Amino acid sequence: MPEFENFNVKTTIDCKQGAVRAVRYNVDGTYCLSCGSDKKIKLWNPASGLLLKTYGGHADEVTDAAGSCDSSYIVSASLDKSIIYWDVSTGAPVRRLRSHAGGVRCVCFNEDSSIAISGGRDNAVMCWDIRTRRLDPVQVMKEARDCITTVATNENRIYAASLDGCVRTYDIRVGELTCDKVGEPITYLAQTLDEQCLVAGCQDSVVRLLDCETGGLLSEYRGHRGDDYHIECGILSNDAHIVTGSSDGDAFVYDLLEGKVLQRIRISDNGGVVHSLATHPKRQEMLFARRRDMYVFSTDLQIEEEQL
Amino acid sequence: MDEEEHLHRFGTPLPALQKDVVPAKKPVAIEDQIVRDENGKRRFHGAFTGGFSAGFWNTVGSQEGWTPQTFKSSRGERASSKAQLKPEDFMDQEDLGEFGIAPQGIRTRDEFANEDEQQQRSGQRRRKLMQPELGVGAIPGLPVLEQLLRPVRDKVAVRILKSMGWKPGQGVGPRQTRKEKRQATARNSKEQYLLEHYGAEGLPSHKETKGDEDSNTEDEDDEDITFAPDDYEPIFYTPKENRFGMSYSGLNRDPILSKSSSSAKPMQHINLFGEMEAQANKKQLSIRGQAFGVGAFEEEDEDIYARDDMTRYDFSLADKKPKQKKQQHVQQRHVIDGFSEENSAAVLQKPYAIDLPRDFQPRNWLQRRSRFAPMDTERAKKLETASEYKRSGLGRHDLNPDQRAQLLGEQKKEEKTAEEQPKRNPFKDSGKSLLERINARTEGFTKGGVITENGEEQQTELAKEVKEANAAIQEKAALKTKDLPSAMNSSGFKPFLADEAKQLRYEKFVSSKLTDDKEVTEFLARMQPVTLSLWDREMEKKEFIQAAKIYRPLVGLMNDRFVSEANVQAEKVKEQEKPPEERKIVMERTKTMWKPTALLCKRYNIAEPFGGAMLEPEKELKAKAKISVFDYLETSVNTKANFETPSIFPKHIEKLTPKEVEKPPSPPPAPPPEAEIQDKPNTKEESSKPTFVPKTALEQAVDESRNKPISEKVELFKSIFEDSDEEETETSEEDKLAILQESFGLPLTSNTSAAAQNVLRNTSPPRGIFASLFSPKKKDTDKEPATSKFAPIEGNKLKIAYKPPSERLRNDRELAMAEVAPEDIYGPKLPTAPPQKPAAPEIQAETNIDARLQQLWQQHAPKKRKAEKWVEKKCISDSEDSDASSSDATSSSDSTAGKDKRSKLSKPTKSHKSSSSKKSKKSKLKYKKKSKKSEKSKHKAKKKKSKH
Repeated sequence: MPEFENFNVKTTIDCKQGAVRAVRYNVDGTYCLSCGSDKKIKLWNPASGLLLKTYGGHADEVTDAAGSCDSSYIVSASLDKSIIYWDVSTGAPVRRLRSHAGGVRCVCFNEDSSIAISGGRDNAVMCWDIRTRRLDPVQVMKEARDCITTVATNENRIYAASLDGCVRTYDIRVGELTCDKVGEPITYLAQTLDEQCLVAGCQDSVVRLLDCETGGLLSEYRGHRGDDYHIECGILSNDAHIVTGSSDGDAFVYDLLEGKVLQRIRISDNGGVVHSLATHPKRQEMLFARRRDMYVFSTDLQIEEEQL
Repeated sequence: MDEEEHLHRFGTPLPALQKDVVPAKKPVAIEDQIVRDENGKRRFHGAFTGGFSAGFWNTVGSQEGWTPQTFKSSRGERASSKAQLKPEDFMDQEDLGEFGIAPQGIRTRDEFANEDEQQQRSGQRRRKLMQPELGVGAIPGLPVLEQLLRPVRDKVAVRILKSMGWKPGQGVGPRQTRKEKRQATARNSKEQYLLEHYGAEGLPSHKETKGDEDSNTEDEDDEDITFAPDDYEPIFYTPKENRFGMSYSGLNRDPILSKSSSSAKPMQHINLFGEMEAQANKKQLSIRGQAFGVGAFEEEDEDIYARDDMTRYDFSLADKKPKQKKQQHVQQRHVIDGFSEENSAAVLQKPYAIDLPRDFQPRNWLQRRSRFAPMDTERAKKLETASEYKRSGLGRHDLNPDQRAQLLGEQKKEEKTAEEQPKRNPFKDSGKSLLERINARTEGFTKGGVITENGEEQQTELAKEVKEANAAIQEKAALKTKDLPSAMNSSGFKPFLADEAKQLRYEKFVSSKLTDDKEVTEFLARMQPVTLSLWDREMEKKEFIQAAKIYRPLVGLMNDRFVSEANVQAEKVKEQEKPPEERKIVMERTKTMWKPTALLCKRYNIAEPFGGAMLEPEKELKAKAKISVFDYLETSVNTKANFETPSIFPKHIEKLTPKEVEKPPSPPPAPPPEAEIQDKPNTKEESSKPTFVPKTALEQAVDESRNKPISEKVELFKSIFEDSDEEETETSEEDKLAILQESFGLPLTSNTSAAAQNVLRNTSPPRGIFASLFSPKKKDTDKEPATSKFAPIEGNKLKIAYKPPSERLRNDRELAMAEVAPEDIYGPKLPTAPPQKPAAPEIQAETNIDARLQQLWQQHAPKKRKAEKWVEKKCISDSEDSDASSSDATSSSDSTAGKDKRSKLSKPTKSHKSSSSKKSKKSKLKYKKKSKKSEKSKHKAKKKKSKH
């Protein structure tokens, strides 16, 4: 088990796009995306805090975004019920996909970015064929009984977390739907890197670790405050630490095995909900979103010193 | 000639008439007849010259004379007002003479003064100067300057008054005592008020004020101090002379436009410009006189705006005014010399009397119940008592503001004592001289409400009094309110108030609280008068019951609907106090079939599950949603609603579980059954997939191997998995099966007694299409009791369910065979089942059978391959719903828990195969399913292994 090192703030970026709704890394963690309430998406260099591009075209707040595996496209979800497929370099919307009956909450790409999966407030998960120009979803899964909060996928499965307290696993290979009922509304879902477990942030201020195979509850992590916010959680690249935001302006790093709070990252003294976060796919680095700002936290001290 | 000499001539003789000349008889023209004055000047000048001589010798307008000025005014040159010319400038000397229009001479003025003329004059002049018109200046009211600078000279009347002891500011009249003066002022102010508000007519006859009586006693001793009366405007009463209503004046006969309608005389000229004139005066603009139609040179027109009236004409030649009688210079009693009492004072007529109808009775209009019926006195009294509390407002209105304030705990006002203070008469302390008393009083006044010690004492006393009074009132109020609810209960709402007897009966009925219909009739019959008809009685009963329902006492009604806030809060507090119980999160896993679309699979680079042969759940749903005619034809026992199984199943499960406990290492407590399974038909297959309880040697072995910790991956949470998952699923399998069977309406062939089966079976014969379709099946159904031969002997089900291994094995092979040919699948290879080691000895035999069966299978397979579809078990069961025998088969093949059943039921399936070609397809389907099952079980086994 790798030893835990404390995270320190590396960069603070004022996104200047209203409240930041979500922050996301691209596939290799060299860039990051911030989704703003001003209907725009911004592409940043998290190391330097440099704004690279702004993508505007949504008609309502952008709730989620994801970069493709080759980092040449972005897919974004918005409350305007549409999903936009962006060209990164030109900044132009390539395709706008509308089929959701409610605001879209979350979106993700599959491994080779040929399918975009979105989940919305209309309780539906939709799979979109990005490769072709098809404008209607390839498949719609309407099993959920409440808003879809997160969709995730791996080689052969699609995970959808919903506010009805269930994590639904659509196994494409087997052709079966597994519904794991947690009982508490799930606000966010993250996969461990070994794809064995799911990290589910629940509304009752508990992050739960679920086993994919059996659907068992492996562990619970308490300490942060969720209140009624859509608090995101994540697992660090070493698969040993779980991180979650909190409504009191902090972020918590838990030990995956023991469930202890390893670090309580004080992001701001001024309060504000740390609702969105992203973990670097390789390094020990994290992004946090709080109010209008995006924070980059890292265990890497050198970078910080360089910056200073 | 003599004659001529004797004649005397007087006057000048006319010139002798000349012959032939006719004398001109021309009279002197009017214009030649000129009146001249003493100086020989022309006296009258005709209308054109305005009656005056114009210019010297009337030379105006002539060559030598001056031309009269013309009025010129243009936009450019405005006519500017010239220096003011006085009328005198235009007057002749005669006009100023003694008999002229403006006689100038020395006269006595109306003020009589004994001061010399000069002074008088100067005074007069000054006074005139200082006396601008009232209300004209910027400051309304009397000019201040005038008040400050009093003329030295008083009018005679004033001087007379002064000499009589009058002082300015006082009223005229005999001196008054304090009391009298107060009365007088009160009266005056009242009268003044009335006059203002109601006019002179409306003044009521003067009433003596009674309020002063209390002060009488106090003021008794200051009779000796007298005061001058107040100066006030005397009020003149106008007696009422008409029959109009109070202060009604009727239509005013005065012209509307007249300036002062009240004082205008009827025949007055309507002065259109009355107000305008006044304004003009204020503005120092002097336009005067008539304007329209009368020019300066014209003779004044008749006043066209005046109305003529016959009164203006004389009807006789007699003097207009009647000759005034000589005034009697008799000294009258109260009349000063030279004055006389007015005799013409209008004698007040008697007030008009109205003739009332003979039987007129004055009545109080407020005490009537309806407009038309006068109320009888009794009822009125009753009503009065009943509504007394209402009127008294529960005694609320008995309180005065102070008492209320005290009740409410408000701060008592200091003013109150101040009020109290003046009531105490300082003059009462006898023994002091008048002056002292006055001084004391004035001191009191000037200091303004000094509170003496005495006064304070009084205050406390007063407070006490007030308190006592309040207490009394409160008690009273409490008593009243206390009475209220009881009154409400006893009487409540009175729906039959109109009929007193009925009301009484109603009240009795209510108080009796009878509910039974018969009792009520009896009860009422006792009270109801004999005269009441049967129908009326019945009606009354109904009415009473209704009324009692509707007019329930308020308390009960409210209790039903409302909860007191205190209760609610208490509950809330309780809830809050309760520690938030730790919610135990119980993970539930349910699995259903889900068909990913082909494209999705393609994009994910995964082969479609089952080669894309899955039934699409959507279609299935649609099919379900369709309403079939047969649904109605066949109101079967098989519907879920009709099914009552719980009495059978739980027993069975309870019996089974302890036996199973002995075999597997970890005994599971039975978790609650999962209800979710019911909604998807696929669950039957799905549910069978995960672990099941091993019963045969082979399965036992498989299980053992599974339990071995192989664990290529080092699992993070091994310990957690171990205890949770298996037992849960395994026992739930049992339940699932039970529920499934229940939901499909399948009789539990193996586990239930024959009797139970018969109860559960759909005994209704096939009807309609089914009748012909399934007629041969009847045999099967008939056979069913035969299958029940296999029904377990009570208490030892497992044993009974046991089958010879060979039979079982064959079944297994059949299942395995049904696997889809590998070449039909693309994509990554599916994980294959690991070799089942413990089953080694039997495998040999199996393979033999396997080969044989495979041959057999392939004979049929190629033909059907393409057309064939993977069909859900549910479908089969649906289609075979009415078919009892086939349902047997499905139930046999469906679940792992029922493995034992399968062996037992292999016979019927065989018989199917052999029975007819019709059935062959069906049986094949079954085979396939079985094969699927086996595959799945293999899958699962592998999974388990990989996990550890």
